[in-house]
Amino acid sequence: MSTAIETHDLSKRYGRVSALSECTVTVPEGAVCALVGPNGAGKTTLLRLLAGLARPTGGTACVLDGAPRQDPGFLAEIGFLAQEIPLYRRFTAEDHIQIGAHMNPRWDASLVRTRLAELRIPLDQRVGTLSGGQRAQVALALTLAKRPRLLLLDEPVAALDPLARRHFLATLTAAVAEAAGGLTVVLSSHLVIDLERVCDHLILLAASRVQLCGDIDTLLAQHKVLVGPRKDTAPIERTHEVVQTVTTARQSTLLVRLNGPVIDPAYQTEDVTFEELVLAYMGADEAAAGRHLTTVGEHS
Amino acid sequence: MTWLVWREYRAQGAIAFALLAAFAAVILVDGFAIASHWHSILLTCKGNSACLHQQQLLAIGLLSDLPYVSLIVPAIVGLLWGAPLVAHELESRTTDFAWAQSVTRTRWLVVKAGWLLLAAAACGGAVAALVTWWSGPSNAMQANAFGPVQFDAQGIVPVGYAVFAMALGIAAGTVARRTLPAIAVVLGGFIGLRLVISDFLRPHYIPAVTAYYKLTGSFTPPGQAWYLSQGAISKTGVVLPQGLGSLGLGNVLPASCQKLLPTGVLVKASSMNAVYSCMQAHGWRGFTAYQPGGRYWTFQGIETGIYVLLAAALIAVTFAIVRRRDA
Repeated sequence: MSTAIETHDLSKRYGRVSALSECTVTVPEGAVCALVGPNGAGKTTLLRLLAGLARPTGGTACVLDGAPRQDPGFLAEIGFLAQEIPLYRRFTAEDHIQIGAHMNPRWDASLVRTRLAELRIPLDQRVGTLSGGQRAQVALALTLAKRPRLLLLDEPVAALDPLARRHFLATLTAAVAEAAGGLTVVLSSHLVIDLERVCDHLILLAASRVQLCGDIDTLLAQHKVLVGPRKDTAPIERTHEVVQTVTTARQSTLLVRLNGPVIDPAYQTEDVTFEELVLAYMGADEAAAGRHLTTVGEHS
Repeated sequence: MTWLVWREYRAQGAIAFALLAAFAAVILVDGFAIASHWHSILLTCKGNSACLHQQQLLAIGLLSDLPYVSLIVPAIVGLLWGAPLVAHELESRTTDFAWAQSVTRTRWLVVKAGWLLLAAAACGGAVAALVTWWSGPSNAMQANAFGPVQFDAQGIVPVGYAVFAMALGIAAGTVARRTLPAIAVVLGGFIGLRLVISDFLRPHYIPAVTAYYKLTGSFTPPGQAWYLSQGAISKTGVVLPQGLGSLGLGNVLPASCQKLLPTGVLVKASSMNAVYSCMQAHGWRGFTAYQPGGRYWTFQGIETGIYVLLAAALIAVTFAIVRRRDA
C-alpha cells in the first residue's frame, strides 16, 4: 500500500512557541485517520502544514508524492476544511458552487447539489443565515466536490449537535466508500467515539509531539490492560512499556504496550478499548492539566 | 477567479456606478450652463483678452466647489475597497476557503487586485475627465489649471492617486491583517503623502523659471503660469517676499531707503514708489519664480508616474507577503 502522507521531523515554531515538534508520521493511501490530542497539541498546525497553508520551520513533509506547495496541481488534490468553517457568509451555497467551478479543474457541482438536496439545505439562502450544522455540511460538500485525493478536516464536527454530527460523518463515510480507496482522510476531533466509528488509523499528538501513530487495530492489539494486586511494577516495566498506572488501595490497573507475552500470573490481562488507549496517551499531559484546573478553582 | 471578484463586488460596483452617474449628471448640467455662458462671453468680447478677464463665469455658491469633491474619490476607493481586499478575507478566514481551491495565491491576488486597481483607475479617470471638461472655460479664462487644487482634480493625476490609494489599502490590509488599522493607514498615508508631494516636491519637478526685472516696473510671464514666489532680491542675495508691506521690510534695507519708509499701518502704493526707487539704486531687483503653463502635461505625467511607481512597489510587497505568509 502506498503512502499518502509521510512526514519526517516536521516542526513548526511561531516565534518562541513550538506548535509542532519533530513530527514523524505515516498515513497509507485510502486510510481514514483520526488526529487526536489535547487542545494546543498541534493538530491544527499539522493539518495546515500538510495542506500547504503554513510553511514548516523544520523537517520535511511528503503529501501525495511531493512537498505541500502552492501549485494548482497539488492544491487540486487536497480538500482542506478549517475549524472555523470558512465560507463567504453573504454568499449562497449556489454562489459557492459557482466559485468552486471557476477555481477547480475537476469540479463535481452535481455532487454538492445532490447532497444538499438530500439534507434539505437551501441553495439560494445566504450561508451566514444557515445553522452551524448546515454550514458544516455545505463546507464538507464543497470540499468533496473538488474530488480530492486527500481530505484534511480540522475539527469539523466540534460545533455540531449529535444528530448533525451523525449526518456529517455519514456523508464523510459515504464519500470514502464511493472513492474505493482513492480518498485518504485525516480528521481531527475531540469526540473519540465518533472517531472510533469512522477511522482505521490514529495519530495522537500531545504537547506538540507525536505520541502514537499507526493502524488502530494493530495499536489495540499491541496494548493490554493488566489488572492485578498492588505491587511493584518494576518487573513489568523491564519487558513492557507502561503507559498509564492507576492504583487503588488493593489493586493496580496498568495500561501497557506489550513487548511479548505477560508471564506474571498475578495479572489478569484484558483488551484495551480505543477510548482507553487514547485517554491513556493523552494523559501524558494530564498532570499539568490537573494542576491548572486546581489553580483555577482556588482563585475563583 | 474573475467570477469570484464579480460576485464579491457586483453590489458595491453598482453603488459606485450610481454615485458616479449622479456626480456626472450634476457636472454635466452645470457644465453645459457654464459652457453656454462662456460662449456668450466670447461673443461679447470678440477676442479682447482684457474684456475676457473682467468677466465672471456663472459658477456660483456650492456648485462652484462641488467638482472638487472628486479630490476625495481616490481616498474613498482606497478605504472602502483597498483596505478590506486582503484584510477582510483574513479576518473572516475566507482565505482558508479561497486558498484551498486549485488556484495559487499569486493568481488569486493577481485577479483580485488587478480588477480592483483597474476599477480604481476607472473611478479616478471618470471623475477627472468630468472635472477637466467642466473646468474648460474657467481654465481658458483665468488660466489657472496649474494651480494646486485645479491641478489635483484634473488631467491624469487623479488616476495615479486612485491607483496609489487602492494599492496602499491593499498593502496596509495585508500587513495589518485587519481592516480598521488599514483604513487608518490609508487616511493618514494618502493625505500625508499628497500634501508632502504637492507642497514640497511638485514645484521642483523641473527647476522653476525665474525672471528678474526693475523694482519699479512689473513682469507678466508669457502665456499661463504657476507662480511659485515673487518679491525683491538684493545684490547680496537677500530676499524680501512680496506682500510684506513696509512692516516687513525691517532693517535689511539700506539706511537711506529705510528713512523713506512711510509710517503708519495703512500705506498707499504711491508712497512706496520712493522706497522702490531707492532700493533699485542700491542694486535691488524684482523677481518672479514660476512654472510656465507649457509644462502642465509634463508635470501631470511626472506626478502620475510617481504615484503609479509607489503603487507598484506596494503591490510588490503585498505579493511577497501573501505568497510567503502562513495562512
